[in-house]
Amino acid sequence: MHLKSLAGATLASLLTCTTALATSISDDKVVIGMPSDFSGIYADLTGKGSAIAAQMAIDEFGGKVLGKPIELLTGDHHLKADVAVGITREWLDRKGLDVVVDIAASSAALAVTKLMTERGKITINNAAGTTRLTGKDCSALSFHWAYDTFALANGVAKAMTLEGNDTWFFITADYAFGYSMEADAKQVIEANGGKVIGSVRHPLSGSDFSSYLLQAQASGAKVIGAANAGSDLRNTIKQAKEFGITSSGQKLTGMIFFIDDARAIGVKEAAGLSVLVGYYWNRNDESRAFAKRFEEKANKKPNTIHAGVYSATRHYLRAIESAGTDDGPTVAEHMRKLKIDDFFALNGFIREDGRMVHDMFLVKIKPAKEAESDWDVFEVVRTLPGNEAYRPLSESECALVKN
Amino acid sequence: MAELLGMPPQLFFGQLLLGLINGAFYAMLSLGLAIIFGMLQIVNFAHGATYMVGAFGAWMLMNYLGIGFWPALILTPLIVALLGVILERLVLKHLYNLDHLYGMLATFGLALIIEGLFRQAYGISGLPYEIPTQLQGGTNLGFMFLPNYRAFVVLISIILCFGTWYLIERTKMGMYLRATTENRELVRAFGIKVPRLVTATFALGVGLAAFAGVMAAPIYQVNPLMGNNLIIVIFAVVVIGGMGSILGATLAGYLVGLVEGLTKAYYPEASSTVVFILMIIVLIVRPSGLFGKEQ
Amino acid sequence: MPETLLKVRNLNAWYGESYILHDLNLDVHRGEVVTLLGRNGSGKTTTLKTIMGMLKLHTGSVTFAGQDMLKLSSDEVARSGIALCPEERGIFASLSVEENLLLPPVLQAGGMTSDEIYQLFPILKERAASQGTHLSGGEQQMLAIARILRTGATLLLLDEPTEGLAPVIIEQIGSILSEIKKRGFTVLLVEQNFYFASSIADRHYVMEEGHVIDEIKNTELEQNTEKLKNYLGI
Repeated sequence: MHLKSLAGATLASLLTCTTALATSISDDKVVIGMPSDFSGIYADLTGKGSAIAAQMAIDEFGGKVLGKPIELLTGDHHLKADVAVGITREWLDRKGLDVVVDIAASSAALAVTKLMTERGKITINNAAGTTRLTGKDCSALSFHWAYDTFALANGVAKAMTLEGNDTWFFITADYAFGYSMEADAKQVIEANGGKVIGSVRHPLSGSDFSSYLLQAQASGAKVIGAANAGSDLRNTIKQAKEFGITSSGQKLTGMIFFIDDARAIGVKEAAGLSVLVGYYWNRNDESRAFAKRFEEKANKKPNTIHAGVYSATRHYLRAIESAGTDDGPTVAEHMRKLKIDDFFALNGFIREDGRMVHDMFLVKIKPAKEAESDWDVFEVVRTLPGNEAYRPLSESECALVKN
Repeated sequence: MAELLGMPPQLFFGQLLLGLINGAFYAMLSLGLAIIFGMLQIVNFAHGATYMVGAFGAWMLMNYLGIGFWPALILTPLIVALLGVILERLVLKHLYNLDHLYGMLATFGLALIIEGLFRQAYGISGLPYEIPTQLQGGTNLGFMFLPNYRAFVVLISIILCFGTWYLIERTKMGMYLRATTENRELVRAFGIKVPRLVTATFALGVGLAAFAGVMAAPIYQVNPLMGNNLIIVIFAVVVIGGMGSILGATLAGYLVGLVEGLTKAYYPEASSTVVFILMIIVLIVRPSGLFGKEQ
Repeated sequence: MPETLLKVRNLNAWYGESYILHDLNLDVHRGEVVTLLGRNGSGKTTTLKTIMGMLKLHTGSVTFAGQDMLKLSSDEVARSGIALCPEERGIFASLSVEENLLLPPVLQAGGMTSDEIYQLFPILKERAASQGTHLSGGEQQMLAIARILRTGATLLLLDEPTEGLAPVIIEQIGSILSEIKKRGFTVLLVEQNFYFASSIADRHYVMEEGHVIDEIKNTELEQNTEKLKNYLGI
């Protein structure tokens, strides 16, 4: 499979190279596609906000690169991989698609990335979390920008285990993302001398988590790890407080927790929780400046995904400028070579496996009384250097990495 | 201490109690759905959306007008019931003489529109709503920590279900309701203003859903999709109890809560499907549901 | 000549696409018992339902006590003073006998009181608490008649009250109807049982395929027996 797609990519690049020499920009425009979740459970985390962030990057270039217009296409994939692929194929065949950014939901991201690679086009994954994108399913034309499940689990679980919280119980969403999150966390916990003493798997999109919390409580573990996301995680956190679990000394932690989640449950409910993020708007002047510009258009603060989309889109356009063409393989090469230079990708660089390694931040939810505004929810505890946060290349399953 | 059915007794009783709490919500919702089905012969797919609107109503009263939980508990169902009256007069009334399918499609469409509007306005992540101060904290029962608010939910749900049962089985209004459910044309020919009664019933049904929504706001997410996730389960509850049976809907609500609670303890992966398994078993053994009348 | 309480003129009615009543004309005078005789499917029940405002497709006119009924909904017709005892009795299974009796609201003065009704139907008092449909067929029929005596209606539309009942029960129903007539109620009775009809009615209309084909006074019944038997196929 893998070899075939590589071969396809090479062939495609040979074909496009010949035309690239003549026109440098295919179809006289650069087309950026965003098949993502615009109406489902991840719509707040990605969706319209991501489209706005990409447009901000495009606007910074005056809407043109190498003198040719930049076009942004968005499409709602309803969290379905086949729909995402359908939209992308349509764009490739009829709209002259050059690159895809964002893509919510790991299953959709994997499928779209494969299609794009076969057509010799670039994919920059951002919202999807799975480490498979830079592992088994890596490609020379695809990148993973904002975060991944390994980094999130690593950031939180490692810090907590080292603090002496060495017994864990997992409340895990019963699907691919949950398993991968739990497995990644378990690896980190055990590597740091901790132990996972039990876990319970719940169906996706539940509303009542008290049963699982009670089981977690009965296990006597020092930490309850919530390997779920979105509304499931928010309800878990809220109900842990309601049932007096967190106040009885057990700690609860989520792994993939965005600023939107903190807002949704209220800082009071989430106080004390630590999570890893790639971006927090109130961290420094640069991050605040971006947040201000974003808020004018989106009417809310950006999260890690939104900032990541901006950074990825901007870097892609810069690579076109530097390459003098929008030909996929050539631009991908320039993306790897070119220094990433923005407020998001601190000390950022792209590894062989396509991982954009950058500094991450371990943050804690502020006590409500210290918050200066509605969106002032995190306090940065520590900066986690990129090399510590992401899975080391030595453990990589990516065929591009020569171990 | 010895184990009870393979788990420590504390955990077992805890799960039962949690099941009962969830059952309280199921019962409140299935009650309204059963009333509406009985009277309007409409399978109201918008019931979940109504529940969601109830929760948002409480949130809006709080955030825009500073009106707290207790007044909202009364005001929101009233406002939503009023909206229900408008909806029934404008849309549903035209569907009574048509096939069930039309009612299902129309209410399903309404649900999508309502949820879409809220999603557009408030996003998908949900909004926080605090437990009223009087009911914060909890009681340690020995086998588990019971939050006061949850105990309150169970209590109110039982009162509400009993009150509705009383209204329907023991009052004149209830007599009209039961008779209309059986033979609407004849009841109207007796001089009773059936259309008005139907409107009132629909208002009562959606009012109950909105009430459940307000009750849910402090413990679940105030989220445009909160009803969407629940409505299919509620349908199963009504089918288990027997379509149109008020008592059946109520008891099946608690029953499903308990069964689900135990499933969460023994085999959590199946907890979202167990209600449907239960439904299938009931339909095989008693095709008209536990309390339904044989057709 | 007594006052004409109900006047039906050129009444046509449809059930959806099917044309049921054709240019129907009939009169019911105050205090009379009038029957609609005819075979199954001749349009008798449809006539009652149309008068009651339960069918929507019709032309012509129905006048009751000088008031036009056709434009009214069935609850408004009921409030004008007409009450229906439907075919197959229409007893409510989810209501007790007493609730069944009290279900039709009192709409006008002049109806019978509950006590009077219980006097006329002692069995209903005995079984007041049982479920309506647990009564025997005859008891259910009595209940169905009894409950429209309270409402103050002056014209009672009775749809085949003897259907499926044993002769001894039919006899009881007959004496109840005589008692009702004595109390001044006007009755329009749909019947297939011509012997029963002849025992209490003043006049008979014969219906066939949605037309009134004949009108026979009860006093002239004897000379018309053969003709009537022919109409009814007995």
